[in-house]
Amino acid sequence: MVELSRRGFLAASVTAAAGAVLTACVGSGNSGSGSSGGDSNTITWWSSHPGKSTDVEKELITRFQQANPSLTVQLVDGGKNYEEVAQKFNAALSGGAVPDVVMLSDVWWFNFALIGAIAPLDDLFGKASVNTSDYVDSLYNDYAWNNKHWALPYARSTPLFYYNKALWQQAGLPDRGPTSWQEFDEWGPRLQAVVGSGKLAHGWGNATDYLGWTFQGPMRTFGGRYSDQFDLKFTEPGSIAAANYLRSSIHDKKYAAISNDIANDFGAGIIASTIASTGDLSGIAKNARFDVGTAFLPAPNGPGCVTGGTGLAIPAKISDQRKVNALKFIDFITNTDNTSYFSQKVGYMPVRKSALSSASTQQFLAKNPNFATAVNQLPKTTSQDYARVFVPGGDKIIGTGFEQIGLRNADVNSTMASVQSQIQQIIDRQITPKLPK
Amino acid sequence: MTRTRAGQIAGYVAMVLVVLAIAVPLAWVVLTSFKERGDIYSQPAIWWPRVFAASNYSDATTSVPFWRFLTNSVIVTGALAIIKFVLGIASAYGLVFLHFPFKRLIFVVVIAALMVPNQITVIVNYSLVAQLGYRNTLLGIIVPLAGVAFGTFLMRNHFLSIPAEIIEAARMDGAGHMRLLWRIILPLSGPTMVAFAVITIVNEWNEYLWPFLMADDSSVATLPVGLTKLQNSDGLTNWGPVMAATVLAMIPVLAVFLVLQRQMIRGLTSGAVKG
Repeated sequence: MVELSRRGFLAASVTAAAGAVLTACVGSGNSGSGSSGGDSNTITWWSSHPGKSTDVEKELITRFQQANPSLTVQLVDGGKNYEEVAQKFNAALSGGAVPDVVMLSDVWWFNFALIGAIAPLDDLFGKASVNTSDYVDSLYNDYAWNNKHWALPYARSTPLFYYNKALWQQAGLPDRGPTSWQEFDEWGPRLQAVVGSGKLAHGWGNATDYLGWTFQGPMRTFGGRYSDQFDLKFTEPGSIAAANYLRSSIHDKKYAAISNDIANDFGAGIIASTIASTGDLSGIAKNARFDVGTAFLPAPNGPGCVTGGTGLAIPAKISDQRKVNALKFIDFITNTDNTSYFSQKVGYMPVRKSALSSASTQQFLAKNPNFATAVNQLPKTTSQDYARVFVPGGDKIIGTGFEQIGLRNADVNSTMASVQSQIQQIIDRQITPKLPK
Repeated sequence: MTRTRAGQIAGYVAMVLVVLAIAVPLAWVVLTSFKERGDIYSQPAIWWPRVFAASNYSDATTSVPFWRFLTNSVIVTGALAIIKFVLGIASAYGLVFLHFPFKRLIFVVVIAALMVPNQITVIVNYSLVAQLGYRNTLLGIIVPLAGVAFGTFLMRNHFLSIPAEIIEAARMDGAGHMRLLWRIILPLSGPTMVAFAVITIVNEWNEYLWPFLMADDSSVATLPVGLTKLQNSDGLTNWGPVMAATVLAMIPVLAVFLVLQRQMIRGLTSGAVKG
């Protein structure tokens, strides 16, 4: 062992102590800012402006203020993506200056619901006269947990099957998406024969490009899934079969690969098909120099596609009056007219049933057949599995597992078992102790 | 003979490789900033823009309040550089040339502050600033970043290396603290001060996490925070304007660096040939 001089030891212990002092004692006294602080007539809304929607969001605010002259809304830049909004919200929870409305994505809201940072909305729906039955069921139920609803859908997207029509034609395939992944397994080699060297028939996303999100659909069609509530299913036969299909498409039949940027690779013609978010539709259409086709994810038996995107939640520590105002605002900007307007301008899904059948939406869909595919798929989608959206870091663990299979040809059984045990550990340590008994 | 020749060639090859490793990504950024959208992401890659389009630059400066961000960045970086510079030199002077108890202990505490990553202090700083009512102000961005453990550490160690005889001589000639600092110590500390200034300016210019947490809207957002607005949160970004904005954001700090770098070299070599 290294000889430690008295002075050295003193210095080291002072260093450690000073570090602790700096981290522990500097601030965090939020006794001054009570739980009900803030102006009840101003609604502060934290958003990441998904899909460059700042101007559209401002228009929604103008409409709200015209309808409610006594209330003003302040739009705040919450960050460049969902993760940053969650990070900023986390910091704000310690400081007392929380917003009235915060955007929380599919993988973030549960974490805040569990620690009691966001308010359950069911008691407030009546006070703000929100008609929840008009929300698309799968989107509304995404926020259900513990018999309560914790947010309302706002900028919602789903995975969508994109294909390159020109290459489809060259390969002699019908102008549609595959009806099952087994069918695509036959199409793959035929496509591969015509795409050219260095290009591929299909690109799977990587761990950060949400393979963990999009692959939930294929999983279901093979009879597998990530989890049933918190009961993990990664090693069930159906899940293993789906993971084996992923492996074989890349390593045996060699018509697919993990792509680092699915939307841009597809737009550049490097991959002939992919599963990407419906939110990428307008960007892909702008980038692509070929005819872009879209289709439902294969769903031969029951749902083959899950929902995604972000919703709006209300912090628990603001006053009841502020909560009601905030909920009125959320209700207003997702009402029939406004959710139609938002989805047509930005490309997310309309979140209300009445908006899906409204004249304005129908007209828009007639002009934009690819967007129509996305909207028509919506009623057939299902909510995501807890293992991805409720487990902190779950998405990354799942995505990384698939990446190992896709990139390094890792053994499917042991990889899925390892994913399962990692997620189980997090559930045991971080979630089970906090669950309401 | 052949051996040295081979060594020389290997040396040049290594140099070229290093230059390429640094220059190619930069060149790609600059070239991409002039490309049209369809040419940015394509296979085979298009290196030279087919047409030099300035549209990315007008996009970058008009679709977001670019000049507002630039002004904010200049204010924040300028204020922080001055505060840190003054604080760093003053505290180092105190720690080296003044006599008072627990000097070493205080220095160790300062070093300890250097060891705490700022991601950890973010939460406590946030609540402190929120209580002070500084959120969404330039003051709220500047004040918590103004601590200078690194500068104190750097300048102190440099001051210690100044020969004690020079200081003694100055004191005997009746120099007070201010005169000692201005006339003797600072002129001897050129290169270190320049290094300190360059590191500080570059760091503050690129600072992201804290300004992002503080800024609620464009009025106080700095360049790194504001430019994220050019990116699309769905993963399909039009990279042209982003690259153009990156080039524009690089220029001021590059200029500062070029000016200061000359000072640094002059400082390093002054008196070297006196023998």
